[in-house]
Amino acid sequence: MANTVLEIKNLTKTYGKRKIIDNISLEIKEGEIYGFLGPNGSGKTTTIKMILRLIEKDSGIIKVKGYDNKKEFEKAMQYIGAIVENPDMYNYMSGLDNLKLHARLRNVDSKRIDEVLELVGLKDRAKEKVKKYSLGMKQRLGLALTLLHKPKVLILDEPTNGLDPAGIKQLRDILKEIAHKEGVAVFVSSHILSEMQQMCDKIAVINNGKIVKSEDITHIEQTEEKQSFEETIEIKVKNVEKAMEILKEKFEIQPKLVEGNINITILSDQIPKVVKELAINDVEIQAVVPKEQSLEDIFFDATKGGKKDE
Amino acid sequence: MSKIWKLFINENIKTWKKLSTKIMIIVAILAIIGTLGLVKIMQRTSGNVVIADSNDNWKKSIQQEMNYMEEQLKNDELDEATKTSYEQQIETYKMSLEYDVSPWKMNYWKTNLIQEISNLKIQKNNLLSENELKSIEERISKLTEKLEQNDFDGYIELQKTEQKTQLDNGEISEQEYKDKIEVLDITKKSGIGKESNDPYWKQTLITEIETAQASIRTNIDKETSKVLTVEKKQEYEDLIKIDKYRLENNIAPSTYSQSYKAIFEILAPMFGVAVIAIIVIVIAGGTISTETSTGSIKFWALTPNKRWKILTAKILSVLFYIIVLTLLISIVTILISNVFFSNTEMGEQYIYVENGKIKVIESNLFIIEQYFVKMIPVVVFVLFAIMLSTLTRNSATSISFSLALYLGNGIVMSIINSFIKSEWIKFVPFNNLNIFDKIFPNYTSPINFSMGTSFTTTTSLTFSLAVLGVCAILMLVTTYDSFNKRDII
Repeated sequence: MANTVLEIKNLTKTYGKRKIIDNISLEIKEGEIYGFLGPNGSGKTTTIKMILRLIEKDSGIIKVKGYDNKKEFEKAMQYIGAIVENPDMYNYMSGLDNLKLHARLRNVDSKRIDEVLELVGLKDRAKEKVKKYSLGMKQRLGLALTLLHKPKVLILDEPTNGLDPAGIKQLRDILKEIAHKEGVAVFVSSHILSEMQQMCDKIAVINNGKIVKSEDITHIEQTEEKQSFEETIEIKVKNVEKAMEILKEKFEIQPKLVEGNINITILSDQIPKVVKELAINDVEIQAVVPKEQSLEDIFFDATKGGKKDE
Repeated sequence: MSKIWKLFINENIKTWKKLSTKIMIIVAILAIIGTLGLVKIMQRTSGNVVIADSNDNWKKSIQQEMNYMEEQLKNDELDEATKTSYEQQIETYKMSLEYDVSPWKMNYWKTNLIQEISNLKIQKNNLLSENELKSIEERISKLTEKLEQNDFDGYIELQKTEQKTQLDNGEISEQEYKDKIEVLDITKKSGIGKESNDPYWKQTLITEIETAQASIRTNIDKETSKVLTVEKKQEYEDLIKIDKYRLENNIAPSTYSQSYKAIFEILAPMFGVAVIAIIVIVIAGGTISTETSTGSIKFWALTPNKRWKILTAKILSVLFYIIVLTLLISIVTILISNVFFSNTEMGEQYIYVENGKIKVIESNLFIIEQYFVKMIPVVVFVLFAIMLSTLTRNSATSISFSLALYLGNGIVMSIINSFIKSEWIKFVPFNNLNIFDKIFPNYTSPINFSMGTSFTTTTSLTFSLAVLGVCAILMLVTTYDSFNKRDII
């Protein structure tokens, strides 16, 4: 079994009377990409800042590779690479100079600097001043800074901010590579579910300072072998009533009507059959769209699930 | 330790890569060049001043005055005293014209001599005793002889014998006699008043020596009329030694300095330190606050270094910048002073007494010492700016507040001190900023220019340094505490 590299136990933080973080516990293992999902103001950044001790926690334990981040701060921080909010660099210096500053503190040689620049694709523009960089380039330089010393834990706060789709994909690829090949534990926060789904192995959802849901993500490429899995699709048809009837009769499911569209949850290998059946029966299909589960849905589910338990 | 060292190197790289750092150095150098320009303008304008009493002028006006006084003497209504003074004046003027010596050149020995002769002549009219009349006649003839022979040394010798007679007659004490002879010997050796254009400061120093001698002799401070303390006595003894050294080597005190090189070497550190102070306070006020407000403090906080190490590196780098800047500017000052002023001009030296011996700090070294000693109080303001920067996290507040305090403390404290006369006022740090005056007590500035260093209080150097040190430690503790505990948002 993979080792736990980042362990958070019963973390709590209060500002005044308001509990910002309420008894959070997490475990992140080697080679795992852990998504930390939540809307703005839910406590994602605060948690991350407490791991990095930018903010002092009220109670709880945070351990990095077994080192308590309060008692053995410097040892714990040795294994961490992190970007919080925006990557912070010195604008009047070149990207390379910024890297060199960090390299000196981390005892890293110039070879590694080249490697990292290559990895994030900034090699050609490393000697330009950072103020000339685009936001995406700054994000990539920030990533380079965190990867410089080959951290065991990589903590990224909203890393996809300001990145274009190509940049997001590149980031995803880099993260997957270092996590799955080099065994780095990656802790990523975001408020966008789709990003997380594509990137993460595990997701924890945080809302109002509490973890409301924590689950393994079933990746498409992994589940293909199983042939089928449940998926929600949205079908837009002209003849709604007829379609509803057919679906009820032939597939024995309960379609929902959402804003004039039919929503069904069905095993994925059944989808072609559904389409075929509808077409045969002259239901004019305008669109069949896989429905993404929104963040709100997750919260909704999570809270509903919570109520059931009570 | 090595971690702090690496952080320190990084901080320096960061500082020196900034454009503003370079611009500020240029500004400081420009301030020194500006001072050079100022001194050069002073030099040029003073060269153009026409000496008012040229040869013929004084003769004419004396003649006029004599005519007027003679006219008045014919008037019977004049009282006796005025009459005597007129007669004496006329006597002096006559001799002045005869020997071609301007009566207005107060430092010239001939002027003094003529004055003495005319005094004696007037006395002659009033005296009755045969003996006294004879001695005065004798004295007049001796003095006239010296005047005619242009014998300066002889004149001094004459004064010596006169002191001897006074001693023999019991009019003066042994000690007073010794003191007088000493002064006369110095006058003779250095030829004070020998030439008609002898600078005024030499006479001033002679007077200073005489006052000091009298104070030591009578054990009463002639300046304050209080009983002499042990320290004050030592001070007077040193003063005599220094003044003698100055007269022997022809080194004018800076207050009377005629050398423009020396004036430059005094002015440049004054302006230079003021400019450096403003620069470093601006930098110090921005250290923590700009980094916390732009978020780049996280650049360091996310590395495996405890916060106090990061802060230490930052403070050290500010102090290092102060040292580098001060050294650089003092070297620039030395270069300018040696390139733009001729070698014949004497620079500003500092003369002091150590273990009873005269020590001299050469002008180049003294420039550096002036800069660094004057920077000591500035460091306190820099620490204050760093503290504000950490506490407020706002550059504008910390810079403007520290600068205002630096520039305005002199005025504020002089107002406060004039109202509060209690003993505790000496513990106020602002009353202890005049470190320079305490390290160089013999230094008298030609320009009363107090900036940052306020007026002198009577406390000792150790006391002042202790007060400033305590102040600095308190500010550092506050800074570290705040930086360690507060969240980085």
